[in-house]
Amino acid sequence: MNRKDIIALHDIEYKILLALYDMISKDTVYNNTLSLEDLVNRTLLNIDQVRRGIEWLKYKGLVKVEEGERKMVTLGDAGKRAVNDGLPEEILNNTLKSLKNVLEIKELRRMIRLDEKEFNAAIKHAIRKGIIRIEDGKLIYIGMWYSREKDDEYILLKRIHDSNGLFKEELNDKELKVLEYLIKRPGYIVERSVKHTSVSLAEKGMELVKQIKSGAIIRSIDVTAKAPIIYAGKKHILQEVIDEVREILIGMGFEEIDGSIVQYSFWNFDALFTPQDHPAREMQDTFYIDIDTGRKASNNNNNNSNYGIASDELITSVSNIHEASWRYRWSMDEAKRLVLRTHTTAVTIRYLAEHRPKEANVFSIGRVFRNEKVNYKHLAEFHQIEGIVVSDDVTLRDLMGIQQEFYKRLGLSKVKFWPTYFPYTEPSLQSMVYHERLGRWVELFGMGIFRPEVTEPIGVKSRVLAWGGGLERIAMLKYGIDDVRELYSNRLSMLRGTPLCQL
Amino acid sequence: MPVVTLYKHRLENLVGKGIDEIKAMLPYIALDIEEEGNDYIKVEYNPNRPDYSTDYGIARALKGLMDIEVGLPMIEVKKSSIRFMVDDSVKDIRPYIVALLASNGRLDGEDVRQLISMQEDLHMGLGRRRKKASIGLHNYDRVKEPFYYTTVDDSFRFVPLNYSSEMSIKDILASTDVGKEYSHLLSNADRYPIIKDSYGNVLSFPPIINSNLTRIDESTKNILVEVTATDINTAQDVLAVIAVTLRDMGFTINSVDIHTNSKILTTPDMRNRSMSIDINYANSILGIDLSADEMVRCLKRCRLDASYNGNAIICTIPRYRIDIISKIDLVEDIAIGYNISLLEPRYPRLKAMGSKDKTLGILDHARDVLIGLGMLEVINFSLVSYELQYKMVNRDISSSKVLLVKESKSKEHEVLRDMLLPSLLNVLAKNIHEPYPQRLFEIGKVFMYDCLSIKEHYNVACVIADAHTDYTEAKSYLQAFLKHLFGYDVVTEPIEDTLYEHGRAASIMVNNISIGSIGEISKSVLNNFRIRVNVSAFELDLSKLLGIEYSI
Repeated sequence: MNRKDIIALHDIEYKILLALYDMISKDTVYNNTLSLEDLVNRTLLNIDQVRRGIEWLKYKGLVKVEEGERKMVTLGDAGKRAVNDGLPEEILNNTLKSLKNVLEIKELRRMIRLDEKEFNAAIKHAIRKGIIRIEDGKLIYIGMWYSREKDDEYILLKRIHDSNGLFKEELNDKELKVLEYLIKRPGYIVERSVKHTSVSLAEKGMELVKQIKSGAIIRSIDVTAKAPIIYAGKKHILQEVIDEVREILIGMGFEEIDGSIVQYSFWNFDALFTPQDHPAREMQDTFYIDIDTGRKASNNNNNNSNYGIASDELITSVSNIHEASWRYRWSMDEAKRLVLRTHTTAVTIRYLAEHRPKEANVFSIGRVFRNEKVNYKHLAEFHQIEGIVVSDDVTLRDLMGIQQEFYKRLGLSKVKFWPTYFPYTEPSLQSMVYHERLGRWVELFGMGIFRPEVTEPIGVKSRVLAWGGGLERIAMLKYGIDDVRELYSNRLSMLRGTPLCQL
Repeated sequence: MPVVTLYKHRLENLVGKGIDEIKAMLPYIALDIEEEGNDYIKVEYNPNRPDYSTDYGIARALKGLMDIEVGLPMIEVKKSSIRFMVDDSVKDIRPYIVALLASNGRLDGEDVRQLISMQEDLHMGLGRRRKKASIGLHNYDRVKEPFYYTTVDDSFRFVPLNYSSEMSIKDILASTDVGKEYSHLLSNADRYPIIKDSYGNVLSFPPIINSNLTRIDESTKNILVEVTATDINTAQDVLAVIAVTLRDMGFTINSVDIHTNSKILTTPDMRNRSMSIDINYANSILGIDLSADEMVRCLKRCRLDASYNGNAIICTIPRYRIDIISKIDLVEDIAIGYNISLLEPRYPRLKAMGSKDKTLGILDHARDVLIGLGMLEVINFSLVSYELQYKMVNRDISSSKVLLVKESKSKEHEVLRDMLLPSLLNVLAKNIHEPYPQRLFEIGKVFMYDCLSIKEHYNVACVIADAHTDYTEAKSYLQAFLKHLFGYDVVTEPIEDTLYEHGRAASIMVNNISIGSIGEISKSVLNNFRIRVNVSAFELDLSKLLGIEYSI
């Protein structure tokens, strides 16, 4: 069976088709059609589902739908009363049954509990129906035969009442004539036009149901249709890059460490051979925390004049080197100022001071802060990675080799190096990688060997190779983003829509 | 980082090579090409090489590296009879002055521009925004020695550079741009430094502004350079850089005598210094195997002089090379002279092993659990605005607990956040046109100050935004999170908090300790953010749960 022959049917459509089909075999008066209400009752779907199903089936040519108007009759107040209490002429009849056969009308009027209008109506209809006769102003009872079961009008009223209303099509010719009489009696019948949808099987639909029932074809679903969208739980795209870099470095044998963001200037600058009057230390470029460290220190139980920043020995060492090399007066006040770290090197230098390893490979990824104006290239807060190798016999070429390997694992195989400057490393190099998709060289990490002025005061005797740089740029290259602010925009359409694998 | 504009034709003339060859060499003397036009290149240089502030300095280095002119740039200093008489009154204000005379030179328009650019760079860099040192360049033919470096009071008047009439010191400090910018350097006294000649003409009012009388231009043949300073070494450094530049421009450098009441100092001080280095030291750091002879050649390419004796290299360093502080700086020059592009990367044998940080590993698990629950991670900044962190979420907080940063360049970066939820609500506010439900989480550092110390904790926060979300949904996620991550059963005790709807908030308790809060975000807060659906949320302190923190 080829694809054209399979007509996909939703569950709703199938139920409706079956209901229409089943109804054909039953005895009905109405040309094998069902109304929407009928379908609701027979399929147990709700009205919205039935409406939708009908639309789809109509579109597929499986059903015929006729919209029309039908006249419906229901009972008015008088009609309802008549069903319960009997028509006025019946009331008249019941009263007359128990009396003499001949009466004055006036007498009857007194005995009967109908109001004037109804009494007159009763008389009129009683005469018409042959219950009484008027001769010489006198009433002659001839209705011994009368009962409501023999009264066509009552029968019809009851029928309408029991059905809660009937369409005119449901009445036979005789009933229609009786209806005409009833309509003339005020308050008995209410007539309205009702929109009516009648649904019937088209030939194609009939064939289809027969085939399904006989097992000739298998009912299918529309497998090409789009399903409702659900969103996967996901890592942030920047975190993906961070974790990828972590994995690469751990795989290369590096130990991950984490450190605090708030640092004393001593660790962020002084221990890294950055003089206290260096421009980078100014508020222009660095975020200083607005609390009075003097107040904080005086609350300290620590009697140390160095506020527990570092040992006296280390502080003396560092201040001496500063004064000898940069020729200025070193100040403790400046060193104890609290900053938001401007590089993760503050974390690695503290690690070195604390552990003084002979051999180590360590890295740290974390946020750093620069007091800069934010634009498409620069953020005030971003992620930096810093890696160090501590060993007696490592060289500048080894540092270049480590970079090369790291880039290779990121998929960047062409690297160039050239000299640059950092206050705490010498020699220092910058690296550029060739990005295939962009078709150009992009600057990435800086690196160097820690100066003896940095390692000697903290008691590290081995050589320390160091490198690092911002991670956002790697993310921007990976995802094809030009504006660094986009990485922190948290636009759900981007976070939800960026695929995990950038092939 | 300072930037210098180099005209291509000038560079070609100065170096004697084509521009393409020159451009290829620039990165190898640590210069970054920032911008290129048809006839110029803008390069960024590092502050440790102030001699790169003009194309003369860059050409000098390039000629060395390209083997066109190697070894020390020869500077002959002639003696002149020019005197500077320094008065005691400058001692507590701006005590030092050094100077030189550059004679018989010829300047074109670009030369003048380069000189002024160098002056600015030196002011900013070595001069530390003129605090440590500042420079005056004067047309020597307009003045007569001896010169006097003394002080005056603020009513003293002269015609400042680029003005046409006299102004008092007071006015200059109050109403000129440069006066307003640098007046703080003179705030500790009521006398003001001034340099005058023997006719009483003013040369300059350091560190603020020169006089109009001595302005230099293309017609200037003789330049008197003076540097005033609060640090004598810096002054000499600056003067040496200027001296070597003017010499390259074709001027003859003449020394002057600075007379103080204790001594006479002849400046500029262009004495070389000597430093020795063992070839094994350099080779072991670089990972190469150069002979002493080869190393000497490398150093000469960096415009130093060197000779060797066995394994010892004796290096002669000119005065303007202030970047050479210790032996290690010579190692870098050897590498540069060798050419970095010739160094082949090699992969070392690393002896230590790799590992993940334990706490960060736990955060990774936390992240995995939340992703497994179908939530989307967001990342927000730690530095946020005060308005977002406190006002928008109806939080009342004592100002002594708020961690502010000083003089931020933007209102968006004012306070260190002490909880994550306000940032998450902000993300919801920016995504009101995206399909719901939106279930977001963040794992990040928060900062708390209790007047004793600053603590850094890792928090986890989740928000669920949807027409039908409620406390129960949030609690389902919270339960699942703590159960899957740690196997903890969570208990939630009712609390009142202005962040949440009244009666629909609780404290998250684990082992009887409160580690966070959960609830339906209050309508008032949602209104502030213009979020039109319900939001249920929770935030908890993972560091507290784990019993670890950073504290300073």
